Amino acid sequence: MRGPDVAWYLAVAAFLFATGALGVLLRRSPLIVLLSLEIMLNGANLALIAFSRLHGESSGQIFALAVMAVAASEVVVGLGLIVAIAQKRLDLDVDKLSFLRG
Amino acid sequence: MIPRPHVDWFALAPELMLLGAMGFALIGAVLLPRENRRDFGAFAAALGFAGAFVYAIVIYIHTPDVHSVIADSVRRDRFGALAQVIIAGAGLLTVGVSYAQRMRDEHIAEYYALLAAAGAGMCFLVTANNLMTLFLGLEWFSISLYILCAIDRELEGSLEAGLKYLIIGSFGSAVLLFGSALVYGATGELAFNRISAAIGAQHLTGDALLVAGLAMIIVGLGFKASAAPFHMWTPDVYEGAPTPVTGFMAAATKTAALVLTLRVLRTAFPQEAHLWTVAIAAIACASLAVGNLAALVQRSVKRMLAYSSIAQAGFMLIPIAANNAIGGRALLYYLIPYSVMSVGAFAVVAARERELAAPVTLDNLAGMGWERPLLGVAMCTFMFGFAGLPPTGGFVGKFYAFSAAYRHGWTWLVIVGVVATAVSLYYYLAVVRAMYMRPAAELQLTPTPIAAGGSPPRDALLQTSVLLALGGTIASFVAVEPLIHVAKQAAAALPF
Repeated sequence: MRGPDVAWYLAVAAFLFATGALGVLLRRSPLIVLLSLEIMLNGANLALIAFSRLHGESSGQIFALAVMAVAASEVVVGLGLIVAIAQKRLDLDVDKLSFLRG
Repeated sequence: MIPRPHVDWFALAPELMLLGAMGFALIGAVLLPRENRRDFGAFAAALGFAGAFVYAIVIYIHTPDVHSVIADSVRRDRFGALAQVIIAGAGLLTVGVSYAQRMRDEHIAEYYALLAAAGAGMCFLVTANNLMTLFLGLEWFSISLYILCAIDRELEGSLEAGLKYLIIGSFGSAVLLFGSALVYGATGELAFNRISAAIGAQHLTGDALLVAGLAMIIVGLGFKASAAPFHMWTPDVYEGAPTPVTGFMAAATKTAALVLTLRVLRTAFPQEAHLWTVAIAAIACASLAVGNLAALVQRSVKRMLAYSSIAQAGFMLIPIAANNAIGGRALLYYLIPYSVMSVGAFAVVAARERELAAPVTLDNLAGMGWERPLLGVAMCTFMFGFAGLPPTGGFVGKFYAFSAAYRHGWTWLVIVGVVATAVSLYYYLAVVRAMYMRPAAELQLTPTPIAAGGSPPRDALLQTSVLLALGGTIASFVAVEPLIHVAKQAAAALPF
């Protein structure tokens, strides 16, 4: 296989996943949190595609395509909720969403 | 011509029934006048769940051995069919509980459409035999549930619950997805049975990629089953979501997640059993500890039941950790009384909530046993069932779960379970005490302002659902032998 070794792809994928996970855990704006979730999913996608090339079969790529569709629908629901919260003029800050005691 | 795999449409019948119901309810939401939407949506969803229930039973009867449905991506077997029966039954009861829920009727038909869609996703998930169908099934029902949690937009807590569930649920799914990618990388396969074959053929048992992937898959499923330490969303979401949705989540989501956990661990990773049995046992102990201790101090009944559901997840992980045929039998059997009791208990909470128009706490539950005899007796029975006391299926379920752990040689796990049961008696019986045995002096009755119109009339559909749940709880104790036999045949579909 030409190009970098699969370990590099896996390293980038793990880096993306970790970046996304940190974003979900640390950032306050729900918009950034949604963005971070997407980064996590895309890290996994990169790993799937790299392994798919490594093993020389396409099921990993099909999986990645399906994940993209799922990620899109997840974001639609997330953005819809954020709009609904904004319409109710609640603070867009996940730390202040504490009507329910956490 | 592209070669197409053979599709066994009959095996997909429960999902297709529910998807059809969803389509009908959505068409009704657009075409019908507003005052008919509630009836039409509820009818469509009830029909869908009833159809799925019947089809799942028919599949159970006609599938003595395991079939691959679409090129190894979906399995048709008794194990999945029994789980589908439980999920469809919980859905049917939920429709009855939801009917009189006071919601804005603007989106009422969509509510039932989403309920059917979530049920379809769960029915699909429990038959998944492939990491891709696993992820798709998981997201299918999760996304439906995110919206269901937030559907009552008038409630501030409802929107918050929806967003919290979305963020944490998606985090869990992403972890599971990354784990799937690692397992795919290590083995080059997506189908569960081929993963296990590849592990055996290539001697991958201790492979770092594979073990990391397995750990992440367990974590992801732990989020969905709300097992500790992945439970932090559960109390908030259960409290904020509309109560019928909470009941459905407690019963059906947990069924789907736990059944799938057993399937994926048993079919894909039997060679790694020395690792995952310990991991699952540790998660079970953590869930028992966190769920029971936190439930002790709750005043809100919904929050208490949320923590209790975490503890129940711990009890149901014990037979999975035992990794033997008795464990599979115990899990499937326990899920039957557990899911009817969950829907039933939240239905009683919903009924009280509608009477009071306020969140139900142990204090304002006072005297309910005398005011509403049927609901009172039912709630008592559900609490006895959760605690594992005799006239209910919960007793037999716990007994079987412990005997599976004992057979595995883990007496310490049995002891942890028995101690947890003893602790749980305190808060389950607190509900019974609040409903029947509060001395007048302790109540400090203050006249509360009563909303105009007085208390709402009895809700026949909700009472029917509670009655059915009560019947299921007792019947699973009385008819324990046939049900154990059914669970035994279902568990035989897994390679123990």
